[in-house]
Amino acid sequence: MAPNLPPKAPLEHSQSVAGSPAAHEEEHHYRSGPLRWLLTTNHKEIGTLYLIFSLSMFLIGGVMALVVRLELFQPGLQMVQPEFFNQMTTMHGLIMVFGAVMPAFVGLANWMVPLQIGAPDMALPRLNNFSFWLLPIAFTLLLATLLMPGGGPNFGWTFYAPLSTTYAPPSTTFFIFALHMAGISSILGAINIIATILNLRAPGMRLMDMTLFVWTWLITAFLLIAVMPVLAGVITMMLLDINFGTSFFNAAGGGDPVLFQHLFWFFGHPEVYIMILPAFGIVSVIVPTFARKRLFGYASMVYATASIAILSFLVWAHHMFAVGLPLVAELFFMYTTMLIAVPTGVKVFNWITTLFRGSITFETPMLFALAFIVLFTIGGFSGLMLAIAPADFQYHDTYFVVAHFHYVLVPGAVFSIMAAVYYWLPKWTGHYPDERIGRWHFWLSVIGVNLLFFPMHFAGLAGMPRRIPDYALQFADFNMASSIGGFLFGFSQLLFVWVIVKCVRGGAKAPAKAWEGASDLEWTLPSPAPLHTFETPPDLRGFKFH
Amino acid sequence: MWEVVKSVLSAFFGVQREQRRRRDFEQGKPGTFIVVGIVLAMLMVIVVMAIAIMAAG
Amino acid sequence: MRKMLVLAALMASVTGLSRAARAAGWNMPVGVTEVSRDVYGLHMVIFWICVIIGVIVFGIMFYSLFRYRRSKGAQAAHFHEHTTVEVFWTAIPLLILVAMAIPATATLKDMYDASEAELDVMVTGHQWRWHYHYMGEDITFFSNLDTPREQIDGTAEKGENYLLEVDQPLVLPVGRKVRLLMTSSDVIHSWWVPDLAVKKDAVPGFVNEAWTRIDEPGIYRGQCAELCGKDHAFMPVVVQAMEQEAFDTWLAERKQEAAAAASGVDREWKLEELVERGEKVYGSICASCHQADGQGTPPTFPALAGNQAMMDDLDWHIDVVVNGVSGSAMAAFSGTLNPVDLAAVITYERNAWGNETGDVVQPAEIQALIDP
Repeated sequence: MAPNLPPKAPLEHSQSVAGSPAAHEEEHHYRSGPLRWLLTTNHKEIGTLYLIFSLSMFLIGGVMALVVRLELFQPGLQMVQPEFFNQMTTMHGLIMVFGAVMPAFVGLANWMVPLQIGAPDMALPRLNNFSFWLLPIAFTLLLATLLMPGGGPNFGWTFYAPLSTTYAPPSTTFFIFALHMAGISSILGAINIIATILNLRAPGMRLMDMTLFVWTWLITAFLLIAVMPVLAGVITMMLLDINFGTSFFNAAGGGDPVLFQHLFWFFGHPEVYIMILPAFGIVSVIVPTFARKRLFGYASMVYATASIAILSFLVWAHHMFAVGLPLVAELFFMYTTMLIAVPTGVKVFNWITTLFRGSITFETPMLFALAFIVLFTIGGFSGLMLAIAPADFQYHDTYFVVAHFHYVLVPGAVFSIMAAVYYWLPKWTGHYPDERIGRWHFWLSVIGVNLLFFPMHFAGLAGMPRRIPDYALQFADFNMASSIGGFLFGFSQLLFVWVIVKCVRGGAKAPAKAWEGASDLEWTLPSPAPLHTFETPPDLRGFKFH
Repeated sequence: MWEVVKSVLSAFFGVQREQRRRRDFEQGKPGTFIVVGIVLAMLMVIVVMAIAIMAAG
Repeated sequence: MRKMLVLAALMASVTGLSRAARAAGWNMPVGVTEVSRDVYGLHMVIFWICVIIGVIVFGIMFYSLFRYRRSKGAQAAHFHEHTTVEVFWTAIPLLILVAMAIPATATLKDMYDASEAELDVMVTGHQWRWHYHYMGEDITFFSNLDTPREQIDGTAEKGENYLLEVDQPLVLPVGRKVRLLMTSSDVIHSWWVPDLAVKKDAVPGFVNEAWTRIDEPGIYRGQCAELCGKDHAFMPVVVQAMEQEAFDTWLAERKQEAAAAASGVDREWKLEELVERGEKVYGSICASCHQADGQGTPPTFPALAGNQAMMDDLDWHIDVVVNGVSGSAMAAFSGTLNPVDLAAVITYERNAWGNETGDVVQPAEIQALIDP
């Protein structure tokens, strides 16, 4: 890997800055105690805040999923009533999407984008602080709706009108406010990431020199800015329908419930890619590291990401094949949806060709990345099946769909986040994560996640609709298996928490370049990365990228 | 111009020769690529729509 | 030759496997209509395409993982792009998809062609029951879940068709093209019977179209597929397909029953008669929201027991039940219940659970209100 080492000068330079008296003086400006975390504008601290927030939301949303799985363990109503069950499925979805997966990626971007492009911090540090602190407020409000009269949101995370307007519990207005805040947070975060990537790259780093993680985040950020306002618009229309007597979605007043779904999915489908593109970036960084081989087809990876992003705006109505669209619309959205399989396939082929004739080792981050490739591809296959509109009439709104999107989101997005955490923990803490517990965590998660989600394919094909608290007897075995898998997967995440806590407290010391095959810019910095890095941008002219 | 269109089309397809990519990035202006990209994306929508209309015929 | 044999044996065992999977209820049902068989065919083709791609891709992946382990001394190669290979693996999926799109388009066009139907049935979704109206035949009825509450709560043994049984199924003739017109009176529902490969959303304010032609007599079960509130799991769809003759007989019987049920609008009804009939109507229509004991689930569904505003204002009470409350979950029932049932249920609500108003609402009054 010697040829990939950077020129000596920038390396020494950044180290000397970090250790210099000037930097110490700088640090004295920081308050101590909780106020420090409240007021911090440092990208690493805000990144940490995002990641901790996301982990706590992941655990809360996970507990809700376990309530759902507990009720579905057997047919009949045992643990909870349908009203509460619906609140659990809804909250689980909202929290995992907006509270766990998205903030985790933003947290990783906060930490790693400046380090990978040689920037001293994010471009807009105060905005960064603001966009993080909106989140705890938004989600406290969202969770508080569970205690309000009539209960919390109970209309599914897709909140289709008029169930979410005319027929919704009174707390829906709070739900809208919470979602508005989370949306503002995402938009501000995205603006910050774009500003950082476009303006703060170190001299000598061109766009096509950036790591795939930075590239995918750049494209994701544009997606966020494009679609978050659409979500804001649609929930504002809901707010008006609920509180101000308008009839956007109320058929009795001349409104159109299908309009809601068009607007929602115009946001919702790009949103799906917002949750998976950064995952592609992470895997594209980890796989070459542990295969000790350059990423195959770097340029086509970038192009494929851009293609997926553009196509994501053209496929939204494949979520609405059963809603009664005209034939031409069904055909259009079927064709575009099938097209999106092509760039996605290219990505998988590129990863596998990167592995081919590499020199592969299996550290925990690599295990998660490899599981991502296999299990995400399985989710992609069911996605391809769902694209076939006539067959989708049978799959739509069944557990087959639940299996599909959980495959792309859990062993997809969530595994990539875990891979990223294991991969960058040495850089964050200066210690290697415990390899033995990491392996236990990995294998229990893989077994649990497949036992949890694979039987859902069968339940769906056999005819089980999603979002039901009780089901016919022929679905009983599938559900029991899923529930057992769910508890296995859920409880093995405690190992994840354990690994992280252990790693923060100590462990085997990691050198600057913690992984032998790693070659990106962050590994030129000491581990743990000091609070201030690249205060003078490194000169990367002549640096051999990826 | 035709070279730009060719480059954008190969970007849509996702495969590009390294020399051509290098040439585009060193000599091309981002603006032209973005404009051509948007125009061709719209053209693609129109083509798919035309196919759908014909198929529904 | 041996390779061919092995391949044939593999194919046979695989098709055998998929048949076994179907029999065990692990796969999509083939169904009993031409469309459902087409859909099943598409499903299996795309499934096997995925399996083949998966075997190749994962095969190469696991081979690489095994073969190029560093622990076995693998040295990394240095290649990182290859235009021909990339063009190849982009073009192949594209061709497969085009090949897949052609039969899918044909099936979809077939599913959308509801012309020349011989029977029209209006299907209306309600929270949480289906309502069927045989157009031109003047037959309408609700189809309610028929599974006893005790089975759901676990105090009784669950029956064979637990949650997939109704009091009155949709009866359809076999061999005839039936057009189903879907709409909803409240939220969005979705009418789904897997064996017919028909799933269509019932959207308030819209009328959606679907059609089916059932080949074999039998009972086909499905359920609502779109989240529609708390009892979403408890509004099954049951279709009973019968031969034309049996269907005609059934139709005639239903007409007679309907006439009998609607009769008596003009005569004077006694309080006890109305309360007795009203209790039944309340149990099947109103109790899912307002609860059997009239306590409701406030704030969404107000309590009726001890509801002073309701007891004080008879006209308002009648108006709410007949015309619904715009902008709330309370639907208008004038289109779905006959005047006798309406009068009965209003009378019942005013004289049950300690609501002792003694009011008697006569069917004739309701009739005058609906049809002045």
